[in-house]
Amino acid sequence: MSNDVLILAEHLKGKVSDISFEMTGKGRQLAVAFGGKAVAVMLGSGAAALAATLGADSVLYVDDPALAEFNPQAYGRVLAALINDRAPRLVMVGNTSMGMDLAAGLSVTAGLPLMAYVNGLAAEGGALAATSQIYGGKIQAEAVPDGEACVVSCLAGAFPADAGRVGAGLVPALEQIASPVPLADLQIKFVRMIEPQSGDVDITQQPILVSIGRGIGGQENIELAQELAEALGTAVSASRPVTDAGWLPKTRQVGKSGLTVKPKIYLAFGISGAPEHLEGMRGAETIIAVNTDPKAPIFDVAHYGATCDMLDLLPALTEKIKA
Amino acid sequence: MNIVVPIKQIPNLTDELEINGDGTGLDHDALQYVLNEFDEHAIEEAVLAKEAAGGTVTVIGVDTTGELDGALHTALAKGADKAARITGDFPRGTDSHTQAKLLANAIRSLSPDLVLTGVQAADDRDGQIGPMIAAHLGLPYVGVVTGVAVKDGKAIVHKEYAGGLMGEFEVSLPMVVGVQAAHQPPRYAPVSKVRQIAKTAKIDEIAGDEAAGAGSTVRRMFKPEAAGHAEMWEGGPEEVAEKIAALIKEKGLLKG
Amino acid sequence: MLTSFEKLIFILMVAVFGGLTAWGFYQIYRIIRRGRPAARFTHVIPQTVKALLEVGLQKPMYKSRPILTTFHALIFFGFSYYILVNVNDLLEGFLPGYSTAEVSAGIIGLLNLLGDVLSIGVLVGVAAFLVRRFIAKDKRLEYNKDVLLLPGVAQGGIKRDSLIVGLFILCHVGSRFTGQALRLAEMGATNPAQPFAGALSLLLRALPPSAFAPAIHASWWIAIGLIVVFLPYFIISKHVHIMAAPLNLALAKQAERGRLDPATSPTNGQGQALPLPGAATLADLAWPRLMDAYACIMCNRCQDVCPAHNSMRPLSPSALEINKRYWLNANFNAFAGGASSPPLTEWAISPEAVWACTTCYACVRVCPVGNEPMADIIDLRRRLVNDGAELDSGVQSTLEKIGKTGNSFGQAARNRAKWAASLDFKIKDVRKEPAEFLWFVGDYASFDARVQEITRTVARVLKSAGVDFGILYEAEKNSGNDVRRVGEEGLFEQLAEQNVAAMSKCTFERVITTDPHTLNALKNEYPDYGGKWETIHYTRLLAQLIDAGKLQLQHKLSHYRVTFHDPCYLGRYNNGFNPPRALIRAAGCEFVEMPRNKENSYCCGAGGGQIWMGSTPVGERPAENRIREALAALDPSADGAGGNAKRLLFVVSCPKDVVMYSDAVKTTGNEGKIEVRDIIQLIAEAMGEGRLLTSNHKPQNAIPA
Repeated sequence: MSNDVLILAEHLKGKVSDISFEMTGKGRQLAVAFGGKAVAVMLGSGAAALAATLGADSVLYVDDPALAEFNPQAYGRVLAALINDRAPRLVMVGNTSMGMDLAAGLSVTAGLPLMAYVNGLAAEGGALAATSQIYGGKIQAEAVPDGEACVVSCLAGAFPADAGRVGAGLVPALEQIASPVPLADLQIKFVRMIEPQSGDVDITQQPILVSIGRGIGGQENIELAQELAEALGTAVSASRPVTDAGWLPKTRQVGKSGLTVKPKIYLAFGISGAPEHLEGMRGAETIIAVNTDPKAPIFDVAHYGATCDMLDLLPALTEKIKA
Repeated sequence: MNIVVPIKQIPNLTDELEINGDGTGLDHDALQYVLNEFDEHAIEEAVLAKEAAGGTVTVIGVDTTGELDGALHTALAKGADKAARITGDFPRGTDSHTQAKLLANAIRSLSPDLVLTGVQAADDRDGQIGPMIAAHLGLPYVGVVTGVAVKDGKAIVHKEYAGGLMGEFEVSLPMVVGVQAAHQPPRYAPVSKVRQIAKTAKIDEIAGDEAAGAGSTVRRMFKPEAAGHAEMWEGGPEEVAEKIAALIKEKGLLKG
Repeated sequence: MLTSFEKLIFILMVAVFGGLTAWGFYQIYRIIRRGRPAARFTHVIPQTVKALLEVGLQKPMYKSRPILTTFHALIFFGFSYYILVNVNDLLEGFLPGYSTAEVSAGIIGLLNLLGDVLSIGVLVGVAAFLVRRFIAKDKRLEYNKDVLLLPGVAQGGIKRDSLIVGLFILCHVGSRFTGQALRLAEMGATNPAQPFAGALSLLLRALPPSAFAPAIHASWWIAIGLIVVFLPYFIISKHVHIMAAPLNLALAKQAERGRLDPATSPTNGQGQALPLPGAATLADLAWPRLMDAYACIMCNRCQDVCPAHNSMRPLSPSALEINKRYWLNANFNAFAGGASSPPLTEWAISPEAVWACTTCYACVRVCPVGNEPMADIIDLRRRLVNDGAELDSGVQSTLEKIGKTGNSFGQAARNRAKWAASLDFKIKDVRKEPAEFLWFVGDYASFDARVQEITRTVARVLKSAGVDFGILYEAEKNSGNDVRRVGEEGLFEQLAEQNVAAMSKCTFERVITTDPHTLNALKNEYPDYGGKWETIHYTRLLAQLIDAGKLQLQHKLSHYRVTFHDPCYLGRYNNGFNPPRALIRAAGCEFVEMPRNKENSYCCGAGGGQIWMGSTPVGERPAENRIREALAALDPSADGAGGNAKRLLFVVSCPKDVVMYSDAVKTTGNEGKIEVRDIIQLIAEAMGEGRLLTSNHKPQNAIPA
């Protein structure tokens, strides 16, 4: 076994996903602790330039026409072969749509333990400890692999991405290889990409949401929230009374009869926090609630709260954001 | 078409989750277990596929709670044809590796054309069972799937990426699918039907082998901070706006 | 008077049209027989006497629309009396020389007098109805957009039917009346017993003498012959209500309003197997529901009081009945002979309408002919649920939560009594020690953060009054009242069985609850599952405690002007009108009734599972409508400006009402003008918060006054 850290970099539509940089940065840090190298692996076809953006110790680009688009079977085979060849100490995969197709299967085929939903990784005296966020974010579990080597699948946003980009000091060695395994007989065939239908903004995809409730008072005040959302480059979402009143379309409703959102920041203005609403936004990373009623249940789930008048706060905040 | 749906029971997340005495796991006995919601979608998609192309749906799970039958009866009431329960010394919270191995061994003898399971479960600390079952069976796997259509021994599946982008794949059967969402919301199983089935249905019992083990050990389990009451910011709109803006900046969410 | 030829023609007509009519009634009998069995033949004689008395006094109609009802009463009394008049007319026609027009004395004179006056009554009544429908175009006769109507109904079938029936009555009664006038004119006589006909006769004297005989014959034929011709039409017209309505009232359901008929029956009336619960097609409905279609006169009183209709949703109870009748008329012989109807949700009532019902019972209560459209709706829901039809996502997820956790909040059972944790005293666990009262708390009172404080106040007041009570803690489950009313019969049975099993293990004397929905299920439906306890609402217990001097109110809350909203399941369903009012009086508040109160109370819009649904009404929500009604009744300007103004309260006695009306006060922008209070909050304030015991201790009467 080597002390290397193998990182699977993802790319979609000609763009390297942030998770790749996040894992690369963390992987390099761990590789130092293990006394090995951080090796970023990218699979593709004729896009080695993408791989060159990864700030790992070395970058391995596996080039094959069958790898032009993500294919779980092709990716799985190539990774299994690389793990077999290089016997890394740690394999890092994103806990993403792609990574979730691979990590658990690799764990079985390579006979390595898997720790999933990881948002914390530490090498303590050369031994790895991984913290998984499970049970809908309600519980953190810190675990150690039973053997030395293992696979982890990391949550997006868990580690800083900048640490994994090619920086001034670091020019990784880029090695381009052909697929170590035949990829001609795949049972899975990529057919096409289907673009999302254009329509209203998808509030489930926003990293930050300006969400308003009854406290907005009336339709005439919706604009205040729209302005803030615009400044933040996001959309206004709402609790049921607001969409019921027709002040915002139903596609903006968060909660039981609306959508479930998990943004990084959820700004809840004038939302009292009916259980039906909480159900749809509990998973947000950070919740900031503003409501004049200090006893509003929203404060039980919010991380930060204030009781000032949201109608004064909205323009003040918009100004601060624009500045 | 022979469709098999492996399912998993998990704690009801609306419950207050309590950590056990030695701080390495949940206090499982205090918890109510329910079917993994993604498995609900897998069952629905299986029944829809059966309704479209014919065949049988077999629902199978490891009985970690002694209450698996309830979930199996409900699945039968929704249109599944057969149900099987894997028994043995597998307590609540049995790891995914163990459940996947047990399920794979049981499913192998059913020679399925299509295995549909929930893409993930809230307790998958050591990974999702779908890809593991596929690996054990040597079958192709596609997960995060929102639609399966079967035709001429092939499945067309739609896999979701971030931002609503979708990849379409054509897969030769047999295969394993990790279902994110069924074509339509899981149907309701009327209780009278479930109760009727509970009286008459036969559930196959399969004795499970040994536990495979997760391959990793939980040292510490804890609740993330900030559960409880919000940290209250005093002051007027200006001060509060200042604090919110700072936080947004800190999270790197400022545009431009 | 009639010639032999005329007599022959008349007898032939009676034979032909009478025969047709008899056959028609027989077919209707066969149609009604196609419905599912229903227990309706208990106490037939007293029920019939009651029905006849009620119809005779027009009592069921006077529940609403008093002026129109008076016009109806004019027609009804006249028409009933015309049975006698018509017999006399027949005798005049057939007995040579028998003539009564000029008789003013004795029994015949009285007959003449009444006939004369009542004829005018009928003519005035019918004219009023025709004017209302065709000239004034009363809006209440129209349906909301998107209400499902059969083509015949949508194309104005009701109007045509009403016009035909109206003109028939005008012709029949008008002609008979004119006939009397012609006779008097021919004789040149006046008759004090026929003042109105007499007056008309003065005009008619101008006719040439030769015109009288043919005119009298013509008037006889238009009056009496017309009835015979019209008899078969009655079978398929709205006029059949004169037969079906009294029958419907006589055979009306006698069980408690709050006890639904069973969901299943092994067979239909013709012995065909009906293994499934509820109803999909006409023949799945209980037979009284088929009779409803014939009893309905399309007056739309039901939709006037329907919260779904009034919030512009596509539900009209009367449209359902009318569609049923139009379909039956169009498929008269086929259905009587055993053909099945297409699913009702395709032509009688839309699925959206089925799911819009709040089960408030107002339509059933107000119906003058004893129809129960709500029963159809619940049976339709039962079958839709059974068939796995796509449910409203809110309803489905709530049912699943209740199935999994036993409560509609999806909370762990062990959290059920968490509300009580912050009390200074421990509430008895009635599973472990006996108590006089088992308090069945209910889901909203237990779990909704907005209601929990009220629940605690109830506990403190009861404790302070020395009431010996306990709760079931995690063994309590949703009572299932609304579960049953969204059609999930199996889940309701399971809940009832589980609750009855848990309660059966406890020792207690009576059950109390703050939740009217729970009250209804426990009181009226649990006995069928072995739960035979007396269940009372907390308002009744509190009123009893005050009467008995065990609960003393120290303060007069005269600074409040309040109105009270009767919850459907406390008031209309369970007759709990008086205790809340007694409590408000005892607390010393100024009390103002809303125009719609007691039996006529207006639903908050939460019942029948609506509170779980994600759907949005197009129009004003019922609760908002009610808040506006309350504000108008309480009249904020009554005290003038300045410091003397009383605080206005909207008093409720149902946990769901707390939620619904607190929201409605906000959405109508009336925060600060009116406050929603549970009745227990008034009682606590009147007792004096300081005097309210909050810890384990001595009963109230031990405290010095």
